[in-house]
Amino acid sequence: MSLFTYLIILIIISIPFAAMVFLPMKWSKPVLVASFIIFILFMYGPMMTMGVLSLQGPEGSMTLPAHDLFSGHWYSQLNADSDLMAGVRDGIGKSLWISLIVAGITAILSLTLGMAFRRSFRGSGILFYAILLSLMTPGLLLSLGLSFLLYYATPYLNDVGINYHTGQAPLGFVPIIGVQAVWALPFGFLVMMSIFNRYDARAEEAARDLGASSVRTFREVTLPLVWTGVFGAGLFGFTLALNEFERTFLVSGAINTLPLELFIITSTSVLRPYVYSLGVVTILFSFLLIGLFLIVSAVAGRKKALAIDEDDGGSMNTSAMHAAPSGD
Amino acid sequence: MVTSLSSNDHHALDEAKAEVAAAEAVEKQTLPEAPLGIMATSGPVRSPLVTLAWIAPGTIWLLLFLIAPLLMIVLVSLWERTPVGFEAFSFTGAAYGRLFETSVYTNTLRDTVIRSVIITLLCILIGYPIAFFLARCVKTVKFQIALFIVVLAPFWVAYVVRIVSWLPVLGRQGLINYFLVNVLQVVQEPVDALFYSTFAITLALIQLYVLFMVTPIFFQLATLDNASVEAARDLGATPSRVFREVIFPLSLPGVLIGCIFVFVLTMGEFATVRLIGGGTIQSVGTIVYEAYVLPDLPKAAAGATILVAVMTVGVAIMLRFSKIREVV
Repeated sequence: MSLFTYLIILIIISIPFAAMVFLPMKWSKPVLVASFIIFILFMYGPMMTMGVLSLQGPEGSMTLPAHDLFSGHWYSQLNADSDLMAGVRDGIGKSLWISLIVAGITAILSLTLGMAFRRSFRGSGILFYAILLSLMTPGLLLSLGLSFLLYYATPYLNDVGINYHTGQAPLGFVPIIGVQAVWALPFGFLVMMSIFNRYDARAEEAARDLGASSVRTFREVTLPLVWTGVFGAGLFGFTLALNEFERTFLVSGAINTLPLELFIITSTSVLRPYVYSLGVVTILFSFLLIGLFLIVSAVAGRKKALAIDEDDGGSMNTSAMHAAPSGD
Repeated sequence: MVTSLSSNDHHALDEAKAEVAAAEAVEKQTLPEAPLGIMATSGPVRSPLVTLAWIAPGTIWLLLFLIAPLLMIVLVSLWERTPVGFEAFSFTGAAYGRLFETSVYTNTLRDTVIRSVIITLLCILIGYPIAFFLARCVKTVKFQIALFIVVLAPFWVAYVVRIVSWLPVLGRQGLINYFLVNVLQVVQEPVDALFYSTFAITLALIQLYVLFMVTPIFFQLATLDNASVEAARDLGATPSRVFREVIFPLSLPGVLIGCIFVFVLTMGEFATVRLIGGGTIQSVGTIVYEAYVLPDLPKAAAGATILVAVMTVGVAIMLRFSKIREVV
C-alpha cells in the first residue's frame, strides 16, 4: 500500500479524537457514539466472522463466502474420533484442572496479600511494584526465564529425591500453575484491595473486644465479609489461566493446555473450520464465566445493601465494578 | 488508576468521596511508604510476625515464579553454551557476540521498537475517545458499567483464539478484501497488504492490546473532578481549551499507564507475529524463540536481556516525559 493510503487511514482514525478535542459536547457526542459502535465492531467483528464460518457445512473453507450455513458439522467434528481431536479434548481436560488449581492459589495469595496491605510494613512499596511487575512482563520472557530455571534446577531436584522431568505430570504442572498464578495475581490482588478499601473494620474490633482470638476473628468475621472478593480473585485466576498461552508456552513440556493445542494446530497443520468451532466454544465458555462473576457480585452487592443501613449510595454499582480494574 | 478503585462512580455522593480523599490524605501523611496511596486504612495493629505470615505466601510465589526467572534470563545470557543448554556459572560474553554476528537482531529490534511506538500512539488515538465516551458521555452509571463490560469482555477470550479470529478477516480472501472488492468496489484486486504483512500484524495487535489503553484512561476520566471542568467552561474556555488544559492533563496518569502497558507488551509480542506474519515477519520475540528451539539458550537469553533493557529505557523515557508535562 502506498504512503497515501496510510495517510487516509490515519486521518479516518483521527476523526473521533479530533471531534472530542475541538467540538463542543453537543456536536462531538454523535461522532463519539458512532466511533464507539465502530470500535465494538472492530473488537467483536473478527470473532463474529469466526462464529459464522464455524457454522458451515463439511465443504466449508477458512474464508468467506460461507458454504452451507447452520449445519453444525464442525461442532460435531470436535467430538470426532481422531488423534487431533483426542489431543484437543485432552487439552481441555488438563486446562480445566490446572485452571481450577490456579483459581484456588490466586484466591489464597490475593487474600493473604490483601490482608498484608491493610497496614503499611517495611518493603510494602517494593512488594506492591513486584506484584504489578507481572502485568508488565511479556509472557514470552517469563516463560523463557522459568524454563532456564527448570533446566538448571532439575538435576538438583532429582538429587534430593524429587523426580522432576520437564513436562511430566504431576510435577510438570507446577511451573504451569506457577506462571499462571503469577499472571492472575495482580488482578486478584487489586480486587482484594478494592474490597479492603471499602471494608468496615468495626465488626472486627467488636469481635476482638468480645474476646475472640485473632484466628477466630479472621475466620468468623473477616472472611465472611470479604468472600466475594476472594471468589472474584479466584474466578480471575480461573479465566486467565484457562486462556493463558505465552507464559505457559516454554514451560509446559509435553503437557498441552487448550491454548497451546490451538497454537500448535494453527501454526503447523492445514487449517479447517474446526479451529473456528473450537474458538467459539472457548469464547462462549469465557463469557459464561464473566456472566457468573457479574451475577455473584450483583447478588453480593444487593445483600450488602440490605444488611448495612448506611449504604454508601450505590453499593451494588460499586461491587459490580470490581470487574473493572480487572480489565487492564 | 489504583486510587480510582475505591470510588469510580463519579455520580456518587460527594460525602463518600470526601471521606475517601480524607482517609487517603491521612494515610499519605502517616505512611510515607504507601505506594500510590493505595493502602487500606482498616487494618488492626498487629505484630511483625503476623505481618510476615500474611506477606510470606505471595512473596515466595513471586520470587519463585517472577523474580527468579527474570534474573535467570540475565544470568544465562552470560553463561557458556552447551549442545543441549548452558553451563552454569561459566561466565562469557559469547552469546552477545553470536547475537550481533549478523545485523538481523539489530534490524529486527529497530523494527520492533518502531512498530510498538506506532501501535502505542494509535492505541491512544483510538482508545482515548472510547474511554472519554464511556466516562463522560454516558449518563447513567448502570449503562456505563454495562457498556464498559461489553468493551472489556474480549479481554477474557483466549489470546490465541483472538489471533485465530483474525484469519478469516485478513488475507487475500479475507473479510476486509471481500468487502473492498465485492461490496464497496473501491479496488479491483484484493489488497496484498492484508496478507502476512506488518500492516496486518499492526491491525491485530491494536485490537489485542487497545483495552490496556482504554481501561486506565477510563478510570482516570471517570474519577476526574467535574468541578474544574465546569469552572473552565463557565469562564468561557473553548471546548478544545478545556480539553487541552483541564481534561487531558488530569487524565495523563491513565494515558501513561496505558502507554507503558501497550508498549511493553507489544515489544515482547511473539504469537501474533508468528501466526499472522506467517513466519515471514520477525519480531524480537520470534528471534528469541528461534534461538531457544535451536537450542542456543544463552543466545535466546541475550536477545531477551537486550529486549528488557530497551523496554526499561522506553518506560523511563515515558515517565520522564510525563514529569515534564506535569511541570508545564
